[in-house]
Amino acid sequence: MSDSSSNAGRKLAAALVLAGLAAVFYNLVAVTRAPGDLRTIKDYTPWSAACIAVAETLPVQDGGRIKPLATYAGFNMLAIYGSRSMTVAGNDGKALTLTPAAWLLDTLFRPQFAIHHPTFRVDNSAVLEAVGVKPRAKRDRYSYAQLQPGLEKLEELAAAYDSLDPKQRDAVQQQILDLAYNVRDFEGLLGQFTFARSGVAMGAAPDEQPITLSIVMDKAPKIRDDLATAQREGKTGRGPAAYLYQAASQAASLALHGMNIFPPAEATDRAWKNSGQQIMGVLNGAIPLPGPAIEDIRTLEQTTRALDTGEPAFLTELTRLRDGLAGRAAARGEGRYLDLEAAYNRADWFLNAFVLFFVGALCAVAMWMAGPGRAGRILAAVTLGWTLGGLGLCVIAIVQRCLIMQRAPVGNLYDTIIFISATSVLLALLIEWVTRRRFALGLAPILGTLLVFLSRRYEMGDPKDHLDPLVAVLASNFWLTIHVLTITLGYAAGLLCALLSALYILMRGLRLDRADGELRRSLTLAVYGMLCLTLFLSLVGTVLGGIWANDSWGRFWGWDPKENGALLIVIWTLVILHARLGGFIREWGLHLASVFTACIVVFSWWHVNFLGVGLHNYGFTTGKNVLWTFYLAMLGLMLFGAISKWLESRK
Amino acid sequence: MDLPPPPDAPKPRLPCARRLLAWLSGLGLATALLVVLGMLTWLATLEQIDSGLQHTLRKYFDWRAVYLIPEIGGKSVPLPLPGGYWVCALLVVNLTLGGLLRWRRDWQRVGVWISHLGIIFLLVAGGVAHHFSQRGHMRIAEGASSDTAEDYFEHVVEVAEIQKGQADIIQVIGGQYLTDLTGSATRCIELAAMPFKLELSGWMRNAEPTPVGAKAAPAGVTASDGYCLVPKPDKTEAEANTPGCVARIVHGDGADPETILLSSAAQEPYTLRHGGRVFTIVLRKRLWLMPFTVRLDKFTAEFHPGTMKPSKFVSAITRIENGREAKAVIQMNEPMRYANLTFYQASYDQLGRGASAKMATVLEVVSNPADKWPQYSLYVVAFGLLVHFITKFVGFIQARSRHHPHV
Repeated sequence: MSDSSSNAGRKLAAALVLAGLAAVFYNLVAVTRAPGDLRTIKDYTPWSAACIAVAETLPVQDGGRIKPLATYAGFNMLAIYGSRSMTVAGNDGKALTLTPAAWLLDTLFRPQFAIHHPTFRVDNSAVLEAVGVKPRAKRDRYSYAQLQPGLEKLEELAAAYDSLDPKQRDAVQQQILDLAYNVRDFEGLLGQFTFARSGVAMGAAPDEQPITLSIVMDKAPKIRDDLATAQREGKTGRGPAAYLYQAASQAASLALHGMNIFPPAEATDRAWKNSGQQIMGVLNGAIPLPGPAIEDIRTLEQTTRALDTGEPAFLTELTRLRDGLAGRAAARGEGRYLDLEAAYNRADWFLNAFVLFFVGALCAVAMWMAGPGRAGRILAAVTLGWTLGGLGLCVIAIVQRCLIMQRAPVGNLYDTIIFISATSVLLALLIEWVTRRRFALGLAPILGTLLVFLSRRYEMGDPKDHLDPLVAVLASNFWLTIHVLTITLGYAAGLLCALLSALYILMRGLRLDRADGELRRSLTLAVYGMLCLTLFLSLVGTVLGGIWANDSWGRFWGWDPKENGALLIVIWTLVILHARLGGFIREWGLHLASVFTACIVVFSWWHVNFLGVGLHNYGFTTGKNVLWTFYLAMLGLMLFGAISKWLESRK
Repeated sequence: MDLPPPPDAPKPRLPCARRLLAWLSGLGLATALLVVLGMLTWLATLEQIDSGLQHTLRKYFDWRAVYLIPEIGGKSVPLPLPGGYWVCALLVVNLTLGGLLRWRRDWQRVGVWISHLGIIFLLVAGGVAHHFSQRGHMRIAEGASSDTAEDYFEHVVEVAEIQKGQADIIQVIGGQYLTDLTGSATRCIELAAMPFKLELSGWMRNAEPTPVGAKAAPAGVTASDGYCLVPKPDKTEAEANTPGCVARIVHGDGADPETILLSSAAQEPYTLRHGGRVFTIVLRKRLWLMPFTVRLDKFTAEFHPGTMKPSKFVSAITRIENGREAKAVIQMNEPMRYANLTFYQASYDQLGRGASAKMATVLEVVSNPADKWPQYSLYVVAFGLLVHFITKFVGFIQARSRHHPHV
């Protein structure tokens, strides 16, 4: 093979890698970018940074833990809007970027603006046609005000489709249902502080000032007495007490499923309360000491109404509300990491890590193109710098998550992705440290880019807080550390094996390695070493999992798909190592088999979640096509390798 | 001194026993067995989606399954495969011969030898658990006691004589005497101290007692007291199956025999009166007598606040044995091991409603002689692999050159 054809091959390979990276980048940007034109919202003014900073650290109990409002807002916005960043324009037409906290502040306190935010993502205009709303484009985002004419029809259709077996629903029916859920969630957010803005009116005179709910709560004993008297006298449902009670109950009903922001007065009560529960609890006499609950509602009313005076007054009241709630949480020993979590959200470590890995991957391509000269050495150092930067951000993020969750780093599927991102990059750098051949150095940022991209896409597809506490059986830091981390490291090592072998096959098959025997030997040794590591981690992790299962479920092995997947990795690595030892496969065979390891790891890591059986079942229904595409790509690569080997043996 | 054979001379043919030994201990067999085991594991993982776990395990890994035809999505795959039990057994032989006995005495490979030893131990542990472990569950309400666990799968026929309103003499016909009574097979069971014997037949793994008038009984199916047993497809969760069979009561005094249907779905046992004595006959899941009594003092179920996500299930129990009481706590990940039995926190329940409602715990009870063996084997395997890979890695580091040209 001549140098010129080898160089042409290198250029082609570099172009392919660049095209792949560009596709990843475009995909990540495209799914987060709002389609359509910039929405102008009349008289809209952005929140001050100080206001947003205070709001972000307001404590909320959600998903079984205390979290800052920033997290709560982020996942609500991601679920409804599909992104954590929204752009709108005010009267001057200038683009304003709304963070999740800003979006939620609008929704809670300025609904007149929030109903015009392009909050609802609709990916198929057929959904809008079905509910009688004129679509703007095939895929666009719509405001609540734009959807309003079709909301009745939307509810009607959603009720019909909800009763169908999920497997029987077509794509449009499912999207109608999703949109209906999103609208309900948004309405829940939108209406929960309405009582604080409007109060309740007695309806006696047109110019009558509404009464605040806190005043009604103050009068609760009198109202209850009057109601009891009326009942005794057979006048149920009549009189001012009955009217006031009904009006207050109606106002509170919108807040009954709202945010749980009030720590309960009783230290033994672990469930925080929302405004609706506080109001109804006092009205019904269920709260024995109503004073603190009335004060909570009064503070909320003052905060809400302060906005009429201007944002500085609102900020003062919001700060008072936040400090009061955070102080009470601290007195209960809760919300210790609110500030850290708010900072974690602001930092967006993984997005930044993606950028660093992506630039590192571009440098890696340039490094491979440059070859062994001075330029290559400089590019190698630059690649290493970007990669270490990305890895550092991943490590910081994972450590912060551990502090916030007070548990080992891996407890759910999202955790596995980010952990595998960091550890596979680290392993690749360790291989580079041992081999010094730059193939692992180049792979490290590419792997980091792909895996962080996967974590972002997964989070968008399953927009729920992955920091939430674990179920009882998983709540063991000992086992989470020694079993789950070992198995997850085994996945990382297995994927790296496959990627290294894929590189070997492409380099040798496309004649990019200039028939460099030493280079091939280094790659083969690296793959062999990683196979041994995969075997060790998977075997130890699998048996540890069995021992854990024996302590929690009463059996060492239950043939659960997740357990079987881990066993398959062990068996497959044993097959490769024994076949190699017996001389049944040599260098080509080792790499072809090693590529197949990726299929087995992906089956164990992802595919078993789709099967719908077993104790590790996550009930996934969408995204299977991506798996089949991956399997086909790996099998295609193996076929390419087999053909290359055959062609080589004919020479 | 023996001369080496000439280069083109044919290799001397080994005796058959040596060739068999070489084959049984060879890497070729090891590789092939691992490939087959991998395929079985993968196919069993897929097949349990449609067929249920118990059925799949019986098909793939029971010792009676010599070979099998896999099914995916309910369709047969024309690929006969050996049964997993026998693949594992052959693997143990291969590992023992090739990994331990015919091991090259080389200190650099001692880690591999140790890890093979650990794997053999692990496989043997699996075999022991397969043959000798038993499991059941015990449901106890707060304040109540129990000394029996109910098996998940095995059904037995219990015949009891009732004296003073209580079962006095109980005789149990084990599941092994019932499950083979399919088709026309019949088994006559003599019952000591009972004035009758039972002729059992027509075993159905899952059946529903159906009024004969409501649904025509299939041809050849016995009807009794206006009911017949209608076979049903196996449930995916095998423990939910309700088996049934036909029992013919043959009286010792020559009275006319009577035929009854036994079904685990029946609400009440069949009551038989004979010469002033009262007997009950019932088909039910096997009860397993514990060597001590367990009393549930308190059950606590905690959930993460504001959610239905469980955070803690705790059973505070008292173990009562020969009049002596001992307190113990059983919770998730912290079972109670005592007298070769292990009690796990499996589930919970609420018995009754309203003010009289009581919390009840469900404890899984397991007897497994190989309970801790996997743990011990792990220590051996991990140590062996560590020794081996560190040896290899050090060798690699020593051999590597840092001055090769770059990619």
